[in-house]
Amino acid sequence: MTRELSGALDYRTARACHECDLLQQIPDLKNGEIARCQRCGALLKRVHKNSLDRSLAFAITGLILFLVANLFPLISLKALGIAQHGNLISATIALFDADMPFLGMLMLFTTILFPLFSLLGTIYVLLNIRMGRLTPAIAPLFRFLRSTDAWGMLEIFLLALIVAAVKLVDLTEVITGISLYAFILLIITLATLSLTLNPDDVWDHLRKPKS
Amino acid sequence: MMTAREAGLISCHFCHNLNRLPSGQLPSEQDKAELTCYVCGSVIHSRIPQSLSKTWALVIAAMILYIPANVLPIMTVVMWGDGRPDNIMSGVMSLLHADMWPLALIVFLASIVIPIAKLLTLLGLLISVHFRSTWRPRERTQLYRATEFIGRWSMIDIFVIGILVALVQFGNAATVTPGMGALSFAAVVILTMIAAHTFDPRLIWDAIEESPNV
Ligand SMILES: [Zn+2]
Ligand SMILES: [Zn+2]
Repeated sequence: MTRELSGALDYRTARACHECDLLQQIPDLKNGEIARCQRCGALLKRVHKNSLDRSLAFAITGLILFLVANLFPLISLKALGIAQHGNLISATIALFDADMPFLGMLMLFTTILFPLFSLLGTIYVLLNIRMGRLTPAIAPLFRFLRSTDAWGMLEIFLLALIVAAVKLVDLTEVITGISLYAFILLIITLATLSLTLNPDDVWDHLRKPKS
Repeated sequence: MMTAREAGLISCHFCHNLNRLPSGQLPSEQDKAELTCYVCGSVIHSRIPQSLSKTWALVIAAMILYIPANVLPIMTVVMWGDGRPDNIMSGVMSLLHADMWPLALIVFLASIVIPIAKLLTLLGLLISVHFRSTWRPRERTQLYRATEFIGRWSMIDIFVIGILVALVQFGNAATVTPGMGALSFAAVVILTMIAAHTFDPRLIWDAIEESPNV
């Protein structure tokens, strides 16, 4: 895909690599194709059909699963006749109670607030684009969602839950809770959502009316 | 081969729109006036302002905090009044003794290998950019990309502690309390995540464009 760039570069379809700044023309991509930087290999662009509609469906599914995952315990322990139930929010509360407000905040933001806000925000953005209402809030909101994407850490929490269960299984009886299944489905849904949602498609909608 | 900066353009970090620099303004003058992308309104800059000094500060702070993170207990398990402090390495060993070597391996990678590799990578990148190295820019960019992608998984140990503290509350029989090591380790993970974000990989390539051999 190397071409003579300096002469006939069309700035409307050209892109600068965000990792090495090289300007390059992006060829017309077919569905499912991706373009990589010819110099450093960074992902420049990908194309998915109906990315926004499918993402909206996944985001709504994710929101429902997130609510269900918060309703019931994920995991329970039984020892000495006492049962301890652990919800998604339990770790946050426990860390605040243990005088670790910084860790409590970290837990609150990475496992509750960022994931919830990300789902709500994504639904808001996609719904409005679908209905053709380009409100001024969309661009800053979507920018915020993109820049906080790495701070929602539910999939890491699931792995931590498994590690914790293994550490406890010798000491007490570990019982999986009802919400655990919703939580696992939530992780799968979120992973699918991040693969499906192509940010370029959102920005393209914001670009259209101006040019 | 031309970069956006050479062409007088600034690519928006979010929407990838190419913004033309205001006429008469030199690329080096950018960070004095704040420019915004005309598509999405985001603040744009050809290179992240003060990328190197910010990243240096964050990496040094993370390296200092890495010591208490490994020396101080990350949590204390109290059973029948008998307290047993755990640090990062003993957490891995206990999984290994439970014959859970796949999990032990994951925790070992996430809590020990990744933080060290990440700090060394960032340090190496900072030094190579400082000396305007032209050595293997593509591989260095790939290393940066991997660092940025994988760093957040180090948070797993913090979450395990949070879950154990929440669940293991059986009065006198058994309780788990978080330790200062956990606080330091969480700070290391957060600082290195921000450091990866403030480092601008385009600086790796600027040295190539400026070197006379190319
Ligand atoms: Zn590139
Ligand atoms: Zn933009």
